[in-house]
Amino acid sequence: MEWLLNALETTSLAQYLRTSRWGYAAVNATHILGIALLIGAILPLNLRIFGLWPRVPLSTLAIVLVPVAAFGLALASIAGAILFSIRAQEYAALGVLWVKLTLIGLGTIAALALHSSHGMKLEEASRAKLLAHAMVSTTCWIGALLCGRLIAFAGD
Amino acid sequence: MSKYWLGLAVVLSLTVESSPALAHHGWAWTTGKNIELVGQIKTVRLGNPHGVLQVDVGGALWTFEVGQPWRNERAGLKESDLVEGVRVRVIGEPAADPSDKRLKVERLFLGDREYELYPERD
Repeated sequence: MEWLLNALETTSLAQYLRTSRWGYAAVNATHILGIALLIGAILPLNLRIFGLWPRVPLSTLAIVLVPVAAFGLALASIAGAILFSIRAQEYAALGVLWVKLTLIGLGTIAALALHSSHGMKLEEASRAKLLAHAMVSTTCWIGALLCGRLIAFAGD
Repeated sequence: MSKYWLGLAVVLSLTVESSPALAHHGWAWTTGKNIELVGQIKTVRLGNPHGVLQVDVGGALWTFEVGQPWRNERAGLKESDLVEGVRVRVIGEPAADPSDKRLKVERLFLGDREYELYPERD
């Protein structure tokens, strides 16, 4: 673990970003763009499941929002891994980061499980299953966002 | 269901703990009033997202948060200025929590030379 964290910190990208003003800002902004797309897509879909906008067909919304959320997650993950590498040992020592990664893992597994059995045709799933999923999903992604923001304010 | 939310809240609150070297974002956690401290640098970690010095202030170990690389550079500080053993005098805002010996530096002095990290602040 120690070896891996050290290896991450000594990559040339991590070393460059540790002192670069605009390079660091660009990766930071990319991370935020990913989060914006992810949460901005997941939340309306979950709110639809909770009962908002009943006239909009669920699968129609899913066709648009699920790929946007997946793209946002990919973007945020890549930029996040790069940000992590800049201070790998210090971030790895933060409990809140591990909670965040766990929530992201759970949210991703829940999404993969739902869409692997129903694709975008979410109407096929039972009401109870959809509600449980939307609740887990909302908790995981909002929780991950809060934990992520706490990283900048935690630290002793 | 309420157990579920309670559990989550407990997990979140338990894990918001510490890494001494990471710095805080913004100024909301400080007292809002400047103090002055003098001490000797013990450890240095410069670079994004924030630079951090651990400083021996009369026997107590304080954490001084200095700027990002561009801010230190703008103030005229070089990496070789802030190294172990160097005596620094700083003016800045301490953490509002008195048990947290942590100060966000606004101005730093090496000898008589002043380095202004936040010229727009008092």
